[in-house]
Amino acid sequence: MSSQRATLRTSNIIILTALILLSLLWLLPIISVLLTAVRSQGDLFKSGIFGWPKAFRWDNFVKAWDAGDFSIYFKNSLFVILMKVPLGILVSSLAAYPLAKMSFRMNQPIFLFLLIGLAVPIQVALQPLVVMMRELGLSNTLFALLPPYIAFGIPLQVLVMRGFFRQIPSELVEAARVDGASELTIFFKIMVPLSVPALAALAIIDTLATWNEFLLALVLISEKESRTVPIGLMQFQGEHSSDYTVLMAGVAISIIPVLIIFLFLQRYFVTGLTAGAVKG
Amino acid sequence: MKSLICGAFAAAMLLGSGALAQDKTTIRFANTFDGPSAENWEPVLQAFMAAHPDIEVKSESVAGSGAAVYPDVLRTSMASGDPADVFFLWGGSIAKPFIDAGQVEPLDAVFAEKGWATRFPAWTVSRLQQDGKQYGVPFHGQGMGFFYRKDLFAQNGITEPKTYAELEGVCSKLKAANIYCASTGGKFGWHVMRLVDFFIEAACGPDVHDQLNALKVSWDQPCVVDAYGRFKSWIDNGWLVPDFLNVAPDDARIPVYQGQAAMIVEGPWFEGALKQNEQDSADYGFFMPPTDHEPSRYSAFPEQWMIASGSKHKEAAVTFIDFISSADTQKAFPDAFGASATIGIKPDCTANPLSCQITDIVQSDRPAYPPTDQAFEKELMDSFFEVQDSIVAGKLTPAEGAKLFQERAEAWKAKS
Amino acid sequence: MHPDRQPMAEIASNSSAAVNTRARSRFTRNTLTPYLFIAPAMVFYLGFLIYPMFVSLYTSLFDWDGMSPLVEFVGLNNYFNALFVDEVTRQALLNNVWWTLGALTIPTVIGLTLALGLNRNLPGTVVLRTLFYAPSVLPLVAVGIIWSWMYNPNFGAINVILKSSGLGFLAGSWLSGFDTALPSAFATYTWGSIGFPMILYLAGLQGIPKDYYEASRIDGANVWQQFWHVTLPGLRESHVIVLSLSVIGGFKVFDLIYTMTYGGPGRVTQVLGTWMYFQSFQYYHAGYGAALAWIIAVIILLVAIPYIRHMSKN
Repeated sequence: MSSQRATLRTSNIIILTALILLSLLWLLPIISVLLTAVRSQGDLFKSGIFGWPKAFRWDNFVKAWDAGDFSIYFKNSLFVILMKVPLGILVSSLAAYPLAKMSFRMNQPIFLFLLIGLAVPIQVALQPLVVMMRELGLSNTLFALLPPYIAFGIPLQVLVMRGFFRQIPSELVEAARVDGASELTIFFKIMVPLSVPALAALAIIDTLATWNEFLLALVLISEKESRTVPIGLMQFQGEHSSDYTVLMAGVAISIIPVLIIFLFLQRYFVTGLTAGAVKG
Repeated sequence: MKSLICGAFAAAMLLGSGALAQDKTTIRFANTFDGPSAENWEPVLQAFMAAHPDIEVKSESVAGSGAAVYPDVLRTSMASGDPADVFFLWGGSIAKPFIDAGQVEPLDAVFAEKGWATRFPAWTVSRLQQDGKQYGVPFHGQGMGFFYRKDLFAQNGITEPKTYAELEGVCSKLKAANIYCASTGGKFGWHVMRLVDFFIEAACGPDVHDQLNALKVSWDQPCVVDAYGRFKSWIDNGWLVPDFLNVAPDDARIPVYQGQAAMIVEGPWFEGALKQNEQDSADYGFFMPPTDHEPSRYSAFPEQWMIASGSKHKEAAVTFIDFISSADTQKAFPDAFGASATIGIKPDCTANPLSCQITDIVQSDRPAYPPTDQAFEKELMDSFFEVQDSIVAGKLTPAEGAKLFQERAEAWKAKS
Repeated sequence: MHPDRQPMAEIASNSSAAVNTRARSRFTRNTLTPYLFIAPAMVFYLGFLIYPMFVSLYTSLFDWDGMSPLVEFVGLNNYFNALFVDEVTRQALLNNVWWTLGALTIPTVIGLTLALGLNRNLPGTVVLRTLFYAPSVLPLVAVGIIWSWMYNPNFGAINVILKSSGLGFLAGSWLSGFDTALPSAFATYTWGSIGFPMILYLAGLQGIPKDYYEASRIDGANVWQQFWHVTLPGLRESHVIVLSLSVIGGFKVFDLIYTMTYGGPGRVTQVLGTWMYFQSFQYYHAGYGAALAWIIAVIILLVAIPYIRHMSKN
């Protein structure tokens, strides 16, 4: 019995060590970005990436932020997120409620119809969206991004919220209906408060996806004033491709916020993913 | 009393703001300035806005990928119906789609009115015409050739080659000293193309080269095979820094900075890049690649300012272009106007000797040929790049490459 | 029995019947209600996903430059050219297939292995899990830039480390080689995508009842047999999700290729997603590009529909 426990312990140690080594290897690219971003170009060529920097050049970050216009790109990405994420989740949750808690003939077909969007690649909507935005007069503005982002986010969000709503006991809803509450009241006073974990998870997932979105922004936005972080990073690479230290500072600026959000909120992130995907 | 004073104050404010509130015209100015160039242009824009307080200029830069990403951005803004008013563009086939789509304003009347025809060398003006109409105003006259490390040449007893055979000798000597002869970057294709263009000019001569670019003769002919063969020999001899097909053009400079390679094909902008990358331009020399033909042409192209036909501020745009292309403005801000097409504008020859050397050539009578990516539209050009890459990788022999490109050119002609 | 005093059960059943009738009647009075709730989502969905989808189906039947009026009807010509004539489309399709096969196997196997390792309540599990997941949240443009730099044949981290640790013979041309470019880009993709399968399998593993393992151990099964007969089947739900999402992602791939190789060298790393972009937005063949986009969509839908039907039945 004790020898079994002993073998278990050694195998655990081996596995743990292997995992730790592997995780360090996995982090190598991010570490090298940070190591490069804090030194000068000359230092980089002399000591290589992994030599300890001779002097710390925090002004690389300042250069990327100001002259590199990351201040603009950040602001734009934040704007899109603040507009899109709450609105998208609200719209999806409103739709998920009747799909979960009301019986009506079109329930299943509508749900299926909304789910198909999960499989639609954005490429198939690109050119028409360009034309649409031009006709709506929204081209080259951040507002052009909002409706398509919301539309493409609906399938997953409806899936997750419907799954969550279905787990809320129907008796609560029935009782509220008996008491004369309108469906809208039920939604805001019962469904939403009980779904905070799912809502939080979706908000985080959606924020990250919006922060990272590239192709639609590439096609709809050209004006520097309206560039989001991924597009800005793309141009930035062109401007500084042989000045790797400033380039890596720019890369660091675009990934550090995402990493921070993820590190502190990953608990919700993980539950949200598994809830939506597994439990449906 | 107090309300009277408030009222008077308010009235004064209204009156005052009325005087200042003449509507400011804002023109958008799209360009490919990289970080340092944008810094050099700041004072130019400020000077213009000071001289024309009713016009505001907003500069939007897309840099680094050459003719690859910037046209995409322009297209997007034009498709949106909200284009930049003044925009930079290369010439030839890069500008053609925009002109064909009616997105560019013809400037013949403006040229006559402003007397621009005498401001620039004739070859730059005529290269910016299409179908007999003038669509662009010359900004740069760019000539390209080999920048080389003078110290590496001197250490190995090498002088500037005057014939192609001598050039090969230079490379052999460098190889013997374990130095790569030249460095190039294959991402996006156009940097490697500069070398290939030189081989085509050297192997085929000026007349045939022009006819090839016009698709008037077949590419599947001996001199083209010879040209690709020379290209392949540079690779097989180890004269080029290896594994370059996905290296970005800017990154190809690094082996030259570090002394691992001795030469790189660049234009006058390179001197500015050297300064920006903290390299000493005194270490560098410049020569035009020897083609063994009379006349010995070199690769050159004008770059232009254009006005979008969808612009709502065309007059302001013309005023702006007049300002930035005038000799007076350019003399006042030499850092922003290297390789200028404006006659008489040369860079400071003590500070920028190499750019000066190139400008002398460009503003002279020596004939030039366009880089191939200004002769072919992007779709056909991508086939050209595909052939060039395949030869590098050994997937096609020079003969097969020439044949394949001819097939693609014929298919392209049939489609359009 | 007194007529006014009914048994409790009857009272209860009567009042619940009354409740039901009341609820149902309130409900049937507002048959519009579910539709009103769904309406906002439908407006966005129909307007900015479904409608553009069908517009591009329509334009795929034309020879169109994306700007001029739609005049040249060519029927299914674009699809014919894409599937039977255009060599690059064939190459791109093949690349997507390889990429998807890779995405189905490599990140999933690694993710499953990591999940098995992390499922042991060891100290620091949460930290390790975070570290492995972190690359997945980065913008792909940033990932592409970082790895392009690492792959640089002269001074990139990979070749530098290989050369300085005596493994110089392994140093390669990576993104610059015709045969190594796509696998190199795929390796980058793997780096960023093992997190999701890992999390999914972790959740799935925790859902397998411990008694199953007990039972099989009593029956004399060794570790390997336990894995094969208990673990793998128990993860069936997770397999379905990972498979479907890998296929969907594999055919949509764009960001990494555009950033790292731009379709090159030559055209060897073109995929349907980037080729569609080149055709529509650089070559002015917007009709052809739309046809390519629909080919992507049809492939994905074929694979995803069983998954979606499965999801909608729960």
